[in-house]
Amino acid sequence: MGIISFILIGSSLVFPAVALWALWWAGRHGQLAHADKAALLPFDEQEPVGRMTDVVLNRPKASKASHPPQGGPVP
Amino acid sequence: MSQPATPGVLAALSPRDADTSSSRRAELAEIDASTSGTVLLFFLAGMVWLLIGTAFALLASYKLHAPDFLSGQAWLTFGRIRTAHLNAVIFGFSAEVAVGVLLWLMCRLCRVPLMAQSVINAAAVFWNVGLTVGIVGILKGDTTGVEYLEMPKYATPILFVAFALIAVWTIVIFRFRREQHLYVSQWYLLAAVLWFPWLYSTAQLLLVLEPARGTVQAAVNWWFGHNVLGLWFTPIGLAAIYYFLPKVIGRPIHSYYLSVLGFWTLALFYNWNGFHHLVGGPFPAWMITISIVASVMMIIPVVSTAINHHFTMVGHFGKLKYSPTLRFIVFGAVSYTVSSLQGVLSSVRWFSEVAHFTHHTVAHAHWGMYAFFTMTMFGSMYYILPRITQREWPSERLISIHFWCTAVGIILYVAPLSWGGWLQGKAMLDATVPFIDVVKITLPWLKLRTLMGLLLAVGHVAFFANLVWILARRFGPYRQPEPMILAGVTPAAPVGK
Repeated sequence: MGIISFILIGSSLVFPAVALWALWWAGRHGQLAHADKAALLPFDEQEPVGRMTDVVLNRPKASKASHPPQGGPVP
Repeated sequence: MSQPATPGVLAALSPRDADTSSSRRAELAEIDASTSGTVLLFFLAGMVWLLIGTAFALLASYKLHAPDFLSGQAWLTFGRIRTAHLNAVIFGFSAEVAVGVLLWLMCRLCRVPLMAQSVINAAAVFWNVGLTVGIVGILKGDTTGVEYLEMPKYATPILFVAFALIAVWTIVIFRFRREQHLYVSQWYLLAAVLWFPWLYSTAQLLLVLEPARGTVQAAVNWWFGHNVLGLWFTPIGLAAIYYFLPKVIGRPIHSYYLSVLGFWTLALFYNWNGFHHLVGGPFPAWMITISIVASVMMIIPVVSTAINHHFTMVGHFGKLKYSPTLRFIVFGAVSYTVSSLQGVLSSVRWFSEVAHFTHHTVAHAHWGMYAFFTMTMFGSMYYILPRITQREWPSERLISIHFWCTAVGIILYVAPLSWGGWLQGKAMLDATVPFIDVVKITLPWLKLRTLMGLLLAVGHVAFFANLVWILARRFGPYRQPEPMILAGVTPAAPVGK
């Protein structure tokens, strides 16, 4: 059990230390600030805010057969 | 669809050695194309395991009210079939689809293509080989007997190596990121890939390789069993919700601060929760009490997450009509709140004394792993698959069958079974009730469970059929370019109102 105890005690110290380091790193690098900017990260110029990106169901028949222009009306 | 040039293995290990062209932010289509083969591999394998796991589940559920059914063969007995079901859906379906979603999300949010896909593909092969060896071992009766860690010890090193590759590669993707600010989903994903190896290796050491003695085994077992849900599957499920919910409706998350608060409080409190399953057991009272306190403190991340999701959706509920992703994700998000609050209640002593050792616990596990996590993963796959195959979903009808069968099926599975478990617990605490009567009390609820299991199975088959169909359109002999209207569309009418 010697080596195993060493591994377990070591890991139980290392993981909280990593968590604390991550929190420190986040604070130092502004990851906990600029919330408005962070909230926009899933979006970009290709898929901007205000554009629904998953329209699959209940579309009118015409829109299933042709490619509407980007940002075009669906349904 | 041509594969974009991505760095090789050595270049991926060191951003300094990477091609200078990779210093730009990659286009979404390029990122999706780079993840295509690998993510498809994980999704397909996961879905095959889901079908296998569902067959095991139906058989096990039926045996609970018809115990003589197929009992002549040892490998078809309840103890083995139920265990095979658990491992097939946890380590087969859930883990593999989770890794597929994790890789796709991480590449998209880091704005880099997936590098050296062969490394992750090898991990996928390793994982499935290890899992097959493990499940065959379980069916042969070669199990450890430790819940959630039943696979024989010769299978688990293969799984560990596979997961280590996945974890390292996720960190490599992160190191390569072209977007410096982290989105909350990345916090959850990074934490998940660090937490799981810690949980798995510690539990393997203390329960399988050099088993601890006595009641410590139970403590470690529940520490692992509870955390594998809360610190591996939950973070990936929440990462997916925090990405897809705003992305689909086209509106940023209501409060980014709340989302970060939810992450750090989950990290702080969840790890202590497992011991609440040992209420009444031979453990120091302080261990159980700390666990109950931490479980009640989980109200903070759960409620902050629920508030955030709800206020993001306000004014956009009409979009549920158009998006299968949104339907599954919203269902998963609501279920996260319900199952977590049910978990808080279950941790309290007076409640646990009745509900523990009953079907109520089984129902709670299915709230979390199916209603929350699995539904969220279904929603994620509905978004990701058309983008990596460049094909639209072939059948709206199959999508509807999938959603309604799984949504209705899981609600009518867990809600009645929770109540049936409660009645079972009350009867078990009554010394005047013979045990056979307690068994009879559970029968209607167990039969309903089998029926709802059938409904879930119909949903799974419908989804798998649509998945095979979309792949046939992409790779089959009659493949042809299709118009894509998945992205970049805005409903003309204000459907959100």
